[in-house]
Amino acid sequence: MNTMHEFIDIVGEDNFSDKIEDLIPYSYDASINVYRPDALIWPETADQISQIVTIANQKGIPIIPRGAGTSLSGGVLAIEGGIVIDVSKMDTIIEIKIADRYATVQPGVICDNLNKELSKHKFIFPPDPASSSVATIGGNVATNAGGIKGAKYGTTRDYVLGLEVVIPTGEIMRTGAYTMKCVSGYDLPKLFAGSEGTLGIITEVTLKINPIPLHAMTAMATFGRLEDAGHAISETMTKSNLIPSVMEILDKVTLTSIRENTPIELPECEAMILTETDGYTWHEVEAQMMVILEILKKNNPLAIKTAKEEKERMELWEARKTAYATLSRISTGVLDDVTVPISKITDLLTGIQEISQRHGLIIGTYGHAGDGNLHPQILYDSYNPEQVKKMEMVESDLFHLAVSLNGTLTGEHGIGLSKADYMGLEHDKVEIEVMKKIKKALDPNNIMNPGKMALHL
Amino acid sequence: MSEPLELSKKYQHMVTQCSRCGFCRAVCPIFDITKNWATNAGGKMVLIKEILDGKIEPSEGIAKSLLCCTTCMNCTTNCPSGVDPPEVIRATRKDMVNLGYDNMFKAMSDVIAKTGNIYGEKEKYDWGHKHERAPYVLFVGCVGTYREEESVEETINLLDILGVKFTMIDEVCCSGVLEDVGYQAHKNLAKHNIDEFHRTGVKAIITTCPYCYRVFKNHPFYNGLNLELQHITQFLAKHDFKVKTDKKVTYHDPCDLGRHAGIYEEPRQIIRKIAPNFVEPERTRENAMCCGAGGGFRGSSPKESITIARTRLRKIMEETGAEILLTECPSCLHNFRNAKLRRWNIEIYNITEFIGKLYKEMDVRKNVAA
Repeated sequence: MNTMHEFIDIVGEDNFSDKIEDLIPYSYDASINVYRPDALIWPETADQISQIVTIANQKGIPIIPRGAGTSLSGGVLAIEGGIVIDVSKMDTIIEIKIADRYATVQPGVICDNLNKELSKHKFIFPPDPASSSVATIGGNVATNAGGIKGAKYGTTRDYVLGLEVVIPTGEIMRTGAYTMKCVSGYDLPKLFAGSEGTLGIITEVTLKINPIPLHAMTAMATFGRLEDAGHAISETMTKSNLIPSVMEILDKVTLTSIRENTPIELPECEAMILTETDGYTWHEVEAQMMVILEILKKNNPLAIKTAKEEKERMELWEARKTAYATLSRISTGVLDDVTVPISKITDLLTGIQEISQRHGLIIGTYGHAGDGNLHPQILYDSYNPEQVKKMEMVESDLFHLAVSLNGTLTGEHGIGLSKADYMGLEHDKVEIEVMKKIKKALDPNNIMNPGKMALHL
Repeated sequence: MSEPLELSKKYQHMVTQCSRCGFCRAVCPIFDITKNWATNAGGKMVLIKEILDGKIEPSEGIAKSLLCCTTCMNCTTNCPSGVDPPEVIRATRKDMVNLGYDNMFKAMSDVIAKTGNIYGEKEKYDWGHKHERAPYVLFVGCVGTYREEESVEETINLLDILGVKFTMIDEVCCSGVLEDVGYQAHKNLAKHNIDEFHRTGVKAIITTCPYCYRVFKNHPFYNGLNLELQHITQFLAKHDFKVKTDKKVTYHDPCDLGRHAGIYEEPRQIIRKIAPNFVEPERTRENAMCCGAGGGFRGSSPKESITIARTRLRKIMEETGAEILLTECPSCLHNFRNAKLRRWNIEIYNITEFIGKLYKEMDVRKNVAA
């Protein structure tokens, strides 16, 4: 019996495909990389995944775990062929335990769907990636997804209490605890968070959940100079004595693209800051916002506007969430997520502008400035070899800039394929060697999402 | 012979514009039940991109795969990259047919040409109402004529009660659906309908089917119509009714009436007049989920089409607790009625059918009282 038939026996014909018309879409994610897998499997249980991985491990077949495939770094692509395991059918919310402040879900549960259920109990899973309407929790954990609330509420890793994982040998491992604190052994859930599917397939996630802040207030400030916006951000994050729940920046290119492609009305300016305070009383929310507004005013804003009404607030956040896709209307884009210490945010903003001018490619920049994480989106013509080359040089310069500012290549998208060549720029040899040893210990045959994070080099 | 992929190439810019952000996954009725990215708008944009870039050859399998779209436009409405996937998919379906890949709708095209309806039925019920002169003509379409006759009967009954002077014609299929599935509408059928409309000397056409409404309004074969065109909800929105229901009522926006034709308010104006206890489903208006019947999907994937309708119906029931689901599209009505499980405590009607039924019940009560 050939291997594909063994897989079909495990999951059934409806949950397997090696038809080219199915494989092609799975050759892509939201990055520019393209690699076609040999087959696709939609498992429905951890036991099925365990059986598949056991066979794959014996036969050396690459396994690529996949959620919604919104990855921006090529992390879900089959660079060495193999089987894509799409966990989208494992989409049950297993338990919401308000009394113990956790929720346990299958990996294919959509981030927004979990929050919709949690909101019935006035609770929330705070990490809020722009793709939350489609992103799966399994994918969020595997990439340690962040989002606009990172500065105050952290990233997915901060909420992972426990996991069930099928490790590369096919064994099912339960790790972590249902408690708010746990120092019992190595913190494996935190290791798997952000491991980009290189260590195993997550089949169940237990997440810490928070009560929803009862009130929130949003403010928008526009600036005629990028530097002024940068200073306002650094100052807010370091001198206000508080942490806003959101501190986002959008540059001129991004604002223009949103304004021209959506009904959302946005002002003309060099940069816009969107900030939010939240809390449990209006007084608390307003008091925080007053402090931030004072700082914004000191940094030469063109205009400042506050929004208390839910509809008005949501419109501003909608604008932010569509930035990536509206910019892609202009031309193909590569979206990066370089991140620097907060005090260096102005240097990063102006440095990106300088790189854009030097290479003559448009870059739209926006992002979670409050935690030092920017998203420069490099726009280029993917059918023009000269522009492709320029784009690669721009990306290289961006990574060098971020690392020179004591920053990192990636704040939340992951290394995947796109940044694998630059791992050595940020990490020393010893550290990379330790990562490789961890990978080898868990995945001796290198079947689990091979070719990612430069672990194979 | 025309250049292969000639029609798809016109949409190359749109295919490239797709950022693969995946937002279309959240609103696609087919992806909702398959979880297969290939059945989703973004997946198809990638597939078409590879064909246009010459990376893969068109094939029978690809032609069939492209039929997995109800053309409901929910992806279009929610696409931040400004892509209109159904428009691109329609073009590529035509290219596939031109390349010789029979996608199973050739038979339907032939049947429509031969019999003047999508089902190949040879006989149709005579509704009467054939007048030489009337201000309005009522056009009920294939699904109404051959599959949801009761609904049409109640609609006619309602128009009679309201004293609307209308006539019906020897109608044939508008044939617009063929444009969705890789073929072309039949000009001679369009001419037949246009001639019939003009023969009656009416000032306006009222359609019960939102798809026919769209075809009459937009298809070049109907350019010579030069008559006022109204969907029945637009026509009835200004009327008052002497009946009401106490039951909890909800409404499903048909894709052809809502996202395709932009008619959202008129059905609600009518429902509010007759159902004080009206409640909206969670996904409604521009964001309403499709019933799974459109774009040829009911024909190409009947089982999945019914699963989609059942999923939508179950959600509506859970979200609203309604006893009555109203819509105003014969295809939605037909799919929902087929999908409804016997034990489910919900009745499904077209709005006009329901009002006609309320009038009938009122008459019965009056007679009993007398």
